[in-house]
Amino acid sequence: MEGLNKFLVNMGRSVGGVVGALYQAGRESIDQVLVNILPFMAFIALVIGIILKTGIGDLIANALAPLAGSLVGLIIISLICAIPILSPLLGPGAVIAQVVGTLLGSTLIANGSIPASYALPALFAINPQVGCDFIPVGLALGEAEPETVEIGVPAILFSRLITGPVSVILAFIASIGLYA
Amino acid sequence: MNALVVAAEWFIGLFQQGASVFVSLVTGIVPLLIILLTGVNALIALIGADRIEKVGEWAARPGLAYYPVRYIVLPFLSVFFLTNPMAYTMGRFLPEKYKPAFYDAAVSYVHPPTGIFPHINPGELFVWLGIAAGIEAQGLSVVPLAVRYLLVGLVVIFIRGIVTERITAIMWARREAGEAATA
Repeated sequence: MEGLNKFLVNMGRSVGGVVGALYQAGRESIDQVLVNILPFMAFIALVIGIILKTGIGDLIANALAPLAGSLVGLIIISLICAIPILSPLLGPGAVIAQVVGTLLGSTLIANGSIPASYALPALFAINPQVGCDFIPVGLALGEAEPETVEIGVPAILFSRLITGPVSVILAFIASIGLYA
Repeated sequence: MNALVVAAEWFIGLFQQGASVFVSLVTGIVPLLIILLTGVNALIALIGADRIEKVGEWAARPGLAYYPVRYIVLPFLSVFFLTNPMAYTMGRFLPEKYKPAFYDAAVSYVHPPTGIFPHINPGELFVWLGIAAGIEAQGLSVVPLAVRYLLVGLVVIFIRGIVTERITAIMWARREAGEAATA
């Protein structure tokens, strides 16, 4: 009788734990959607709406097409984003990468003026500045010494000048056969 | 009067277009996102994020064999379980000389997996979604692109970790040489 009791209690406890975790996960995901995702969707929808309606999109697309439509052009975009003075300015919230990504996606890739396989190198070309605005905070989260931060900031910024274009080339090679 | 009406219609039209984009985003992306976020959040809560701390201690070891652990396995597990920005706290298990390189690798991996694991960075989904929208508009599946983005991202953060570690080492040596010269 006591064994059965113990079994029931344990069972109830673990089922309760799992259900609680699931419920908490649902609460978190709704929170994330409300706090992070929907506001940005509203912003992006406004930008896309204005771009589509006013025809600015065609202008920007025409300007970007020669750059985004070739490997050399994409490398140039990645180099610009990786310039050590620019990269911390372009980084915050990945807003620039998200707007440029949306522009490229909803104009040039959507209407087929650059091949779909270019989407992969483009994803890396627009993003070599990722996290460049956040280096001191990120290192502090890792409990780095002030001296490490002093050296780490320029080290990462200069490293991006090399790894930015390299990532585009790698992605370009990896995109062979994609959507062929 | 007529001109005013035309102008007003154009003005409203600007936002109507945006509104229809918003509706398509919300109905097309949000439902799947909510379920996926719930599933992954639950999984992480049940597994326990603290278990990856062992990997952090493991990744701190010197030697060539630990490069992939430090700049592929640890960043991947950190961003998957701790997400942006708490993933960078895993740097605390590493010696000072590896911290910048680890941060570089980890922060570079907060976008590549978002096509399949959006919980990693729900606030910055449009790096992926923006480009993916173009693929969808062409009637193609975005999954092949999402998988390749995730995989190429791993190679890129590996290279980034190695390059940044080298540059950090060079700058450190130069600074110590400078300090020795002035002392």
